[in-house]
Amino acid sequence: MIEIRLHGRGGQGAVTASRIIATAAYEEGKYSQAIPMYGTERRGAPLTAFVRIDDVRVRERELVHNPEISIVLDPLIAKQQAVVNQLKPGGLVILNTAYPPEAVKIGGDFNVATVDATTIALETLGRPITNTAILGAFAKVTGLLKVESIEKAIKKFFPGRLGDMNIAAVKRSYDEVKGPIQAVVKEAPEQKVDIHVGGYGVLKDVSSWRVFTPEIDVDKCIGCKTCWIFCPETAIQWDEEKNKPWIRFEACKGCGLCANECPVNAIKMVRVEV
Amino acid sequence: MVGNKAAATAVKLAKVQVASAFPITPQTTITQYLSEMYAAGEWDFDFVNVEGELTSQVVVQAASRTGARTFTCTSGPGLLYMHHPMQTTGSSRLPVVMAVVHRGYKGMQPDHSDLMSQQWTGWGHQYVEHAQEILDSVLMAYKVAEDPRIRIPIAVGYDGYVLSYTAEPVEIPAQEEVDKWLPPNKAMPSVLPDEVDPSTFARGWGGGDPQMPWKVHHEAILKIEEVLKETMDSFEKTFGRRYGNGMIEEYMMEDAEVAILAMGTIAGTCKAAVDRMRKEGKKVGLIKLRSYIPFPVKDFREWAKKLDGIAVVDRSICPGKGGPVFAKLRDSLFDQEEKPKTLQFHAGLGGKEVRVHDFEMIGDKILKAAKGGKVEQVTWV
Amino acid sequence: MGELTITPGSACQGCGAALAARLAFKALGSNVIRHGIPCCPDSTTKTPRFSTVFEGGGAQLTGTSRGLKAIGREDVMAVGFYGDGGTYDIGFQGLSAAAERNENIMVITKDNEAYMNTGNQRSGATPKYARTSTNPVGPRSRGKPRPKKNIPFIFAAHYVPYVGTASVGFPEDLISKVNYMKTIKGFRMLIIQSPCPVGWRYDPAKTIEIARASVQSGIWPLYEIMDGKTFKLNYKPKELKPVTEYLTPQARFRHMTEEEVADIQETATASWENLLKADEMGRLII
Repeated sequence: MIEIRLHGRGGQGAVTASRIIATAAYEEGKYSQAIPMYGTERRGAPLTAFVRIDDVRVRERELVHNPEISIVLDPLIAKQQAVVNQLKPGGLVILNTAYPPEAVKIGGDFNVATVDATTIALETLGRPITNTAILGAFAKVTGLLKVESIEKAIKKFFPGRLGDMNIAAVKRSYDEVKGPIQAVVKEAPEQKVDIHVGGYGVLKDVSSWRVFTPEIDVDKCIGCKTCWIFCPETAIQWDEEKNKPWIRFEACKGCGLCANECPVNAIKMVRVEV
Repeated sequence: MVGNKAAATAVKLAKVQVASAFPITPQTTITQYLSEMYAAGEWDFDFVNVEGELTSQVVVQAASRTGARTFTCTSGPGLLYMHHPMQTTGSSRLPVVMAVVHRGYKGMQPDHSDLMSQQWTGWGHQYVEHAQEILDSVLMAYKVAEDPRIRIPIAVGYDGYVLSYTAEPVEIPAQEEVDKWLPPNKAMPSVLPDEVDPSTFARGWGGGDPQMPWKVHHEAILKIEEVLKETMDSFEKTFGRRYGNGMIEEYMMEDAEVAILAMGTIAGTCKAAVDRMRKEGKKVGLIKLRSYIPFPVKDFREWAKKLDGIAVVDRSICPGKGGPVFAKLRDSLFDQEEKPKTLQFHAGLGGKEVRVHDFEMIGDKILKAAKGGKVEQVTWV
Repeated sequence: MGELTITPGSACQGCGAALAARLAFKALGSNVIRHGIPCCPDSTTKTPRFSTVFEGGGAQLTGTSRGLKAIGREDVMAVGFYGDGGTYDIGFQGLSAAAERNENIMVITKDNEAYMNTGNQRSGATPKYARTSTNPVGPRSRGKPRPKKNIPFIFAAHYVPYVGTASVGFPEDLISKVNYMKTIKGFRMLIIQSPCPVGWRYDPAKTIEIARASVQSGIWPLYEIMDGKTFKLNYKPKELKPVTEYLTPQARFRHMTEEEVADIQETATASWENLLKADEMGRLII
């Protein structure tokens, strides 16, 4: 049996990705299971999903605790050691990042492959929904499933033009994936971060939710406070002395509302560097 | 005084601060008595006339959170309608006291299927026999529910019509004595904006062992046994009356060979039957079950060592499963070596009258079974 | 006014309801017990918080208000912050009864026009033609077939002291309405239209833009009704914007035909004219 864990955020389609893999496996005559770790996920909040593939019917219904493969759909979560927690020795992690596998900082006894799924998604779908833009890489580096089976499965989930766009993302990801290579960093401390956030309430830091981040041009700013009034998360703080805004980045989810409302376009949203 | 008046009088004696109820037969007159008490302004009391039972349950739940002493009451279908918020009152550990004036689902006459169907809501469940016991039990329910060791809502159930609307003498304790015995309730902890612990603000959901709240809740309810027994002792000391140890009340049990287990009004009828059987030399006694949740497991395990037979009279049935008291009693005795013969009797369902001679029949059957005679396991009386 | 929300919370990016909570609680101040029922996680606040069953919103406010009176703390405000499901639909009965009793409570509704917490299922607050996960578009369905319930008028018809509408696109109006509610007693209700980027399907940066267009096109007029009779329109542009400014950016309306858009335009214009007349008279005829 092969066990896979997917890490993503609400809205990136990690759950759909898990179902596409399971469906593709079924297309190849295998048994499969896709389990979403549903709590009360919101758009942008970290979440996990799990896949099992086997030659016989999958009977366990517990979550996957020791995966062979970890697929990380989000470029910022991809930087966290927690995505390889309890990965089987010699396992594989597929990361969404613009960097080559040699530059990956997380470490241990596993192989690393990387693909810039966010760019692929933005260029093929126009939105940073990275689920299909990582599946081509998955097909290529694992060799578990044929890319044709993945495409067949995608057509079931996304009929018509949307399916074609997603298949284009798969193809690019298949071509552009780098690795796998043995992880460069050998020893890395296990991270005690709960990358799955369940339940409601206050979060510590949502910096990693952002795909785009606001940048304030203080010279352009006229001090009207519009951005400050409208920020749902009070991420925009007001410096009364200077009469200018500053951003509490740990509270900013990157919605872009401030940039959209600024009457003098003093805020622009820029792609987060990863 | 009728049963419903006894309940309303207990509300007054307990100086309940907020009560809320929706009228439903056979509970209706309690809402009227409470409305009259509110109108008369006899004490600092607020009564909320609501548009349905669900609302009445939520009203007392929220008022209880603020620390007010609260009361609500209902019957049969009204109790079913309350089912959802009863879970919240239970899980929130709020010391609400509720009178349940039994009404069955098949017809309007009483059986215990209403309160029995609320077993999973996390309340203490008590069943009482006569008007005096209603008044006394409601007072004791506050004492137990508000005890810092407990903080569990308690339902006091009594049969509609034959008790709710039946007049009999009731002794009313002096207000000053009740005041001394039952001090005012307090919210635990304070929920007021200027007193609340601010560290609770950012606490979200999730995290921790999701099973733990169930374990804690279960154990708190089990603790009612100890506190109820204590309360019965202090009640007797103050007011001179007691009902067994609170969990069960025994009648003519000292030398009994067999017992009939019954609850509610029919336990009274059973006492009359026991008297008659005793005159005929039959060593039959009654164990009246007062607390169904928590169940008096220890008491029954002790009695089981001494008795040759127990006849369980269930006034409710889980269709397809059977009588709940019978099942729970046998569960309590399963792993004990010394255990008596047990028989199941279905009686009083749909309000069917249970007469003295019915209990004599039950007594004869359990005596026969105890002596090794052949008797059917289940009897519909 | 200090911030009363604790952020970041677990709401989605660009959540209108998170902003509604921030603005409303900022205006309310700290002498508040906040009441919740199942709904989206908007913003956590620095207030004691009660919660109960979904259908119990009106009842729990009643209980708290009566309980506070019993313990001699009537100065503390019992405030409900509920979603449209808890206000328009499952919680309607209890709220209506609380209004009829004129309980001393405040009900603030963040109206995002569907059951967003469970994934955009239709509610009584969903507007006509909107596509939801339970009003898909297909040969037999054009989105939601019926218009949004007029909940402010329904509650005004309970002759309660105050019913108002507000929008996250008009924060000053929203805050002044909350401030006014604090000065009076009895049943007070404020319905805040709170756009939802996920359910309404638009770019989260456009939450305010859409909220504003809704008011400016007459889809969500800002008004207040006192005692079921006194009526005041709080925002009166010389000319309404076409409803397309509101509808077009939202993919939930993308399937609409020209006739269907004309239907919405006609309804919006007609109801706006009625509101203008009422505003002129200063009263409603209920």
